[in-house]
Amino acid sequence: MTAATATKQALLQRLDGLHQIPTIPAVLAPLLRYLQQPVEQLDVQKVTDLLSQDKSLAAQCLQMANSPLFGRAQNVQSLRGAVVSLGFHHVSDIAMSCGVLNMLPSDKASLDPVVFWEHSLGCALVSRQIARKINFGDPGKAYLAGLLHDLGIIVNLWVLPKEFRAAWEMGKGEGIPLHEAEQKSMGFTHCDSGRLLGERWALAPELIEVISYHHAPEKSAEHTGLVALVQLADLLCRMSGLNYGYVEERQVNLAEESGFGLLAQHSTALKDFDWARLTFELDSYMDEVHSLVRAIYRT
Amino acid sequence: MDGPPEPELVRIRDVIYQTAGIFHPDNKLRLLQDRCGRRMKELKVQTLREYSECLTIRPTRQAELIALLNEITIGETSFFRNQPQLDALRRIVIPKILEAKSNLPLRRLRIWSAGCSTGEEPYTLRMLMLEELNVQLKDWSTEILATDLNERSLAHAEEAVYGSYSTRNLTPSYRNKYFIPQGDKLQVNALARSNISFSRLNLSDDSRMTFMKSMDAIFCCNVLIYFDLASKRRVIQHFFNNLLPHGYLFLGHSESLFGVNDDFRLVHLPGATAYVKGERTPAGGKSL
Ligand SMILES: C[S@@+](CC[C@H](N)C(=O)[O-])C[C@H]1O[C@@H](n2cnc3c(N)ncnc32)[C@H](O)[C@@H]1O
Ligand SMILES: [Fe+2]
Ligand SMILES: [Fe+2]
Repeated sequence: MTAATATKQALLQRLDGLHQIPTIPAVLAPLLRYLQQPVEQLDVQKVTDLLSQDKSLAAQCLQMANSPLFGRAQNVQSLRGAVVSLGFHHVSDIAMSCGVLNMLPSDKASLDPVVFWEHSLGCALVSRQIARKINFGDPGKAYLAGLLHDLGIIVNLWVLPKEFRAAWEMGKGEGIPLHEAEQKSMGFTHCDSGRLLGERWALAPELIEVISYHHAPEKSAEHTGLVALVQLADLLCRMSGLNYGYVEERQVNLAEESGFGLLAQHSTALKDFDWARLTFELDSYMDEVHSLVRAIYRT
Repeated sequence: MDGPPEPELVRIRDVIYQTAGIFHPDNKLRLLQDRCGRRMKELKVQTLREYSECLTIRPTRQAELIALLNEITIGETSFFRNQPQLDALRRIVIPKILEAKSNLPLRRLRIWSAGCSTGEEPYTLRMLMLEELNVQLKDWSTEILATDLNERSLAHAEEAVYGSYSTRNLTPSYRNKYFIPQGDKLQVNALARSNISFSRLNLSDDSRMTFMKSMDAIFCCNVLIYFDLASKRRVIQHFFNNLLPHGYLFLGHSESLFGVNDDFRLVHLPGATAYVKGERTPAGGKSL
């Protein structure tokens, strides 16, 4: 057995036997399941009720509902008010975002988990924006995919904090992508560990594909368009200030990425897409994301 | 930001982006609003809505647009204006250019600062090259061409004396290495003034533009805002022809070529964007 497969085996074992493994927050599991139904069958009040069961989650949701990132920032006072004024799709986006934040380990001794959360939120927003602009399916789905794409990083932070930190240091030192550093130093990436957790949580198949293949969308079989979209959104975030806390020393030509050609098969609007403008818009997300995360952390 | 952006302001933002190619993200809308405010005072216009009509419907809209663009750009410049862009040049772009030229006998870099104003930009580039002199650029010579339309700006550039505003981003190390104090001002020293040539050039002068050959990198930052679409297209086409195959075009922060030119390819660098020459496939289409 090579060192790499040994580490992978060790990861699997640890993941299996671990009890403090991030569980999907109690409120979110039913919410997620509920949201998998067709939109016409969804009930606004039911979503509000589900959320109200967790006081701190509800408070965080209100913080986010009042951010310009979610459109109207007209000082929403109650969850119900948020549902009414933002539309409950946004509320569920927000709930999921807070849920992911709450899954991060609070021990900051190893690596500050906040940067990963900021990256995920940024990627969610950019994915949503791309989906809207190129008319690619449901923007809410793209948001969720962007938000959860790096679920494996959460697993790594919990299960192998030392090894993951070493990988991150290597990435930072060499200025290379995090998944390449993980592969080099641990023998697997957050795509592998994310997939394990995604399957254990029985996430929707398209989310599992995004989590598993967002760094190699050509490997995805069924939901290639969504996976490709998240690959591009992720790259944009990594080349901006919503990266993993370090700068990758490289040049990216989105049109040469495998995801670009794949996404183009699903959307004719892609060839006329203004990537430069989206990149500049990211500048304004960045400030909002930073201040929002700070505000929520205090909640 | 407090509250959602005003729809009228967003409309003005879009007009500016479409006509001048300069984009104000949400966090810069305040700035845009200030600039509009100055014009509104001048015109004695009360509301943004009314002002937006001055830019879009009124017969004088063309003139008003130029007046607003002047407010937005006011010929401003400074040393180290766009740090991520400069970092990317040094860490990523220069190595790529050197690699592309590694088999050529002539070890020379040519960089053009087009629309250099009072000289802060080309001097900044020169200082970066000097920092790399004994590292990446060992055995290489560099040449910086700096051009502008404005003769007074060029005279200022040759004199190379600067006040506190345009030198505000200088680190102590650059200040000590490349400047001489002159009263309460700073003058660029002889070393940093070497290998730069300043000359007057109108970017719309087609015959002179064809002579700016064999560039490795062109910086044309915060200049194209002064051009209408047709002349912008011509300038960019010249840049395309003037660049070597591996060459780079850098624009100002938040400037884009979207809708202006299809030959250049957008590339992303950490915290910055640039344009490179795309390769054409044999069929004449573009490769992905
Ligand atoms: C805002 S300054 C940019 C200075 C510098 N590139 C920077 O980004 O800091 C714009 C400059 O463009 C020059 N400019 C405007 N139209 C021009 C033209 N047709 N040809 C050459 N330069 C021009 C102006 O004279 C002015 O100095
Ligand atoms: Fe990832
Ligand atoms: Fe990512």
